[in-house]
Order: sequence, then C-alpha cells, then structure tokens
Amino acid sequence: MSQASPAVVSSAHGQTPERERGVLYKLWQKPKSRYSMLILLAVIAVGIVGPWLAPHDPTKPYYESLLAEPSAEHWLGTDAIGRDVFSRLLHGARVTLMVAVMAVSITFFTGTLIGITSAYVGGIVDQVLMRIMDILLAIPNIVMAMAIVAILGPSLTNAMIAVGIAGIPKYARLTRASTLAVKSSGYVEASRAVGTSNARILLLQILPNIMSTLLVYTTLQIGIAILDTAALSFIGLGAQPPTPEWGTMLSEGKEYIRDAWWLATFPGIAISVVVFSVNILGDALRDILDPRTN
Amino acid sequence: MKQYVLQRLASGLIVLFGISIFSFALIHMIPGDPIRIMLGENASAEQVHALREQLGLNDPLPTQYLNYMTGVLQGDLGTSFKTGRPVLTEILERFPATVKLAASGMALAICIGITMGVLAAKFKDTFIDFTAMSIATLGVSIPNFWLGILLILLFTVKLGWFPIAGGTGLRDLVLPAVTLGVLASTVISRLTRAGMVEVLSQDYIRTARAKGLHERAVLFVHAFRNAMIPVVTIIGLQIASLLGGTVIIERVFDWPGLGSLAINAIASRDFPLVQGIILFIGVIFVLVNLLVDILYSLIDPRIEIGQAKEGGA
Repeated sequence: MSQASPAVVSSAHGQTPERERGVLYKLWQKPKSRYSMLILLAVIAVGIVGPWLAPHDPTKPYYESLLAEPSAEHWLGTDAIGRDVFSRLLHGARVTLMVAVMAVSITFFTGTLIGITSAYVGGIVDQVLMRIMDILLAIPNIVMAMAIVAILGPSLTNAMIAVGIAGIPKYARLTRASTLAVKSSGYVEASRAVGTSNARILLLQILPNIMSTLLVYTTLQIGIAILDTAALSFIGLGAQPPTPEWGTMLSEGKEYIRDAWWLATFPGIAISVVVFSVNILGDALRDILDPRTN
Repeated sequence: MKQYVLQRLASGLIVLFGISIFSFALIHMIPGDPIRIMLGENASAEQVHALREQLGLNDPLPTQYLNYMTGVLQGDLGTSFKTGRPVLTEILERFPATVKLAASGMALAICIGITMGVLAAKFKDTFIDFTAMSIATLGVSIPNFWLGILLILLFTVKLGWFPIAGGTGLRDLVLPAVTLGVLASTVISRLTRAGMVEVLSQDYIRTARAKGLHERAVLFVHAFRNAMIPVVTIIGLQIASLLGGTVIIERVFDWPGLGSLAINAIASRDFPLVQGIILFIGVIFVLVNLLVDILYSLIDPRIEIGQAKEGGA
C-alpha cells in the first residue's frame, strides 16, 4: 500500500502517475531499449524504402567484377557472380521482416487460441491439447521446422510457415499458464457469478490481462523466427537463389570463405544486429510488463 | 517418489506414441502424391505402382500404421529410397559423430556457462556482471551457424590452426564444439546467475559469512549446490536444443552426423529416411528428458509430481 502513495502525490501535482505512463514512454527512458527501438525503426525503414536506396540491382551480375572486395563502387563487395552485396543486404531487410512478421503471426494466433481454449475449457480438452503440445515439444524446434519443410517442400514461404508452426507448442503452454492464473483470480470468479457470458470474460478480462506476458514473448519470438528462418535458408531449405535473403547469402558466403571474407561477414552482422535489438527490447518489455518472471 | 517415476514413465510413453504417429503421418501429409515427388515427373506407371506397393501405401491407414510400428519395434525403420539401405543402419552410422559433437558442445557449455554465471552473481551489478550478461544476450542473438563461419574465417582461413572441414578427428572437433557450446552456455549462465543471486541473499549464507567462513567456502559449498538445482534441469532440456543446433552446425563444418543426413534426406525427398530421423530424434529426446526428470527428483526430494515440466518452460 505504501508504494502507491508517491504516485498519488505526484498526480495531485498534475503529473502522470508512473504506472499509468505508456509502455513506449518507459522503453524510451532506458538507453538500452531506446537504442534498440531506434535500430529496429531504422531496419523497418530500410525494409520499406531499401529497394530504392540500393545502388545496384540485387540480382544483376557484374561479370567484370566477380568476388570484388569492398570498394567505392561496391561498398560491401560483390559475390561470386558479381552481384552487389550492399544492394542485396538492403533488399534482404524486407524479406527478413516479412518472414518474421508472418511466422510470428502464425505462432501468436494459433498458440494463443490453443492456450486459452485449453485453460478455459479445461478437462479432457485441456488434457488432449497439452499432450499434443508435449509431443510436438519433444522434437527440437529446428528439426520440427525441417520436418514441416520436408512435407511442404523447400521454399521461403514454406520455411516461414514451418518456423511459425514450430513455435506454437511453447507459446500455447505459456498462454495456458497465464490464462489459468487470471482465470482463478477473484474478478473472473465474480463476473461469472453475476452471469457474464464466456465470450465477454475471454475478450474483456482474460485476453487484456494475459496480453502483457504475450507481448513479451511475441517480441522474443520474433528474434527466434528470424534466426530459424535464416538457418533453414542457410541449409538450403528456405529461400532459394537468387532471392536476396540473409541466410541464403551466408550459405553462398560459406562456399567462398577462402576468397571473400565479406560475403560471409555482412549478412551475419545484419541478422545479429536485428535479433540483438529485438532481444534487448524483449528483455526491457519483460522488466516493465512482467517483472515477476525475471 | 516411486509414484512420480511411474507417472513420468507413463507420460513419456504417451509422448513416444504421439511421435510415432507424427513420423508415420509425415508421408501422408504431403500435398500431392509423395510417390510422384520421390520418383520425379518422368517415372513410369509401373515404377510408381511398384514403389507404392513397396511402401505399403495401398493398405488402409490403420493397417499401415500397425505394419509401420511392428517394423519399428523390431528395429526396422524402412529402407532409404536413395541408397536402398536400411534407414536404421544409415542413422546408426551417423549417430556417433553427432553424439561426439553434442557431448563436447555440452561439456564446454557447462564449463563456460557456470563460470560466467557464478562470476556475474558474485560481482553483481559490476562491469563483470554486465559483460557476462551482454555476452549471454549476444550469444542468443548471433545465428550460431554464422559464429561457426566466423571461427572458420579467423582460425582456419587467417591463422591456419585448424583443418578446413570434413574430418572427425580431435582437431576437426574443436571449432564446431566451441560454436555449439557458446550457444548452449548462454542459457546456463543466465540461470546460474539468477540462482546464485537468489541463494546469496538467503539467511543461511549470511550465517555462513557471519561465522567467518572463507568466501570461497560460502560460494562453492553453501551457495553453489543450492543454486544448481534449476541449472541441472535446464542442462537436460538444453540437450534437445543441442541436437537441433548440431543439425545446422554440422552443415557449416561438413560434419558427417545425423544433421547432414537429415538435410540431405529432405533435399532429395527421401521420405522414409526423413521419417526415421524424426522418430529417432524424438525418441532420444524423450528418453533424455525422462532421465533428467528422474535424476532431478533424486537431487531435490522436495519435487512434487507435475512440477518438473513447468519449471523448465
């Protein structure tokens, strides 16, 4: 109780109480999360306008400069058939972002649906759904994604779907746990007692209250999705050449590792910077929204 | 205790059953005709018919599953479509290399992770703590296959300390094991730090310090053993992600293990082999988890039924 009083005092002085300030504001207050937000905004900007910024066509070979070192003409060098690495990286930002958003959407919607259903309906439905999740969890994420690609056939879209599906079991378990915690709280019991419909309870009470936990894990899941899709592309089961995808570029870079260090370096830096920023942001969100789990 | 072990065994069996269904169903989930995909466009009707017969795809589904499982229980995982050799033989040939790599990676991960975690907790909120935890975050953010490529670039191409790739000797093992170990160590170091920080704030640690115990004794005799309980669980769970991690790392270093076998099987659409590998990895993982759960209940008698899983998620 005593912790609440400073906030009351400050609001009496016309300031916004600390806990009512927006999450974005709090993120902005910390240098770590501020920088990672700025980096991610920059990456999103590149994802949108990158193709117009690129000095060269990402799929056009310059046969007169194969495996050229970084220079004024080709800032990050060229690859084995003379394509401009910098232009390919810029185009790759869009591919990476799209993949991340699509894959995480699949994970988020399906996982949340399964988790909430399991926790809210309970009983045999809960048992069956969670046993299925256990079974899927028994296969490592990337192997699961590979199995799904084996079924659907190798392509960027299928890799995206595979990564999205592979993330579902963990997510469903998490949603279930959070829903159970909310479900047993006094206010849900109370509204059930006064005859509120299930749909209203789910939409207006359960969902808003588990949202902060979900937001944290969705953010962290973006990083995992980017890494897993890049890995699938790297082993040839994701994006196919000549798509300028960062994982595929690394795979090509590995082939020429003795001759061209830049090919195997810059796409990796790009992936790492994006995922690192996402993870820092996720950690910061967790500190703000879900302090108990840290 | 006995009841707990039995319960774990039972749920392990259910999961195993589920995995067998999943690996069995794999070939039936393929959009289009799997036989056509395997044989290619130019296959004759006879070839298609023969392979369909051979794989038993004409039987009703329950019969197919029963036949599949009868085979599996007798160690017959089918025949590789590309090489014509038994799937189990192919897998067992590659498995030792993967175990060697995963075990070395795990050993390194435990050493690195626990050292960094204890140091970070001991020097909480100092530069050491900050550095160790930044490395941990960086470790999960860098694609581990890229870390492998960077190590090759530095130690093989520039310095020439290690052979380029392809062998399975001790010198070939160093770089892939380090790559794997760094990845797995990040989770261990975070958890060790969290456990140690919590334990170090307990009363019995204050008592130990107050009675004049040497700081090293406080740290390693009193704190460490109690902080290690969750770490042991996560080490067990890490084995799964290591098995997954090796798949990609094997590709980077041309390591002839289960991972490269899986990648080739998928690329060449050798479905019987893919099914076998999925089943095999699933079974290994379930067995390891079962072992960890049971060991865990031995280390920590406070454990109650159904708690082990929640703690690891």
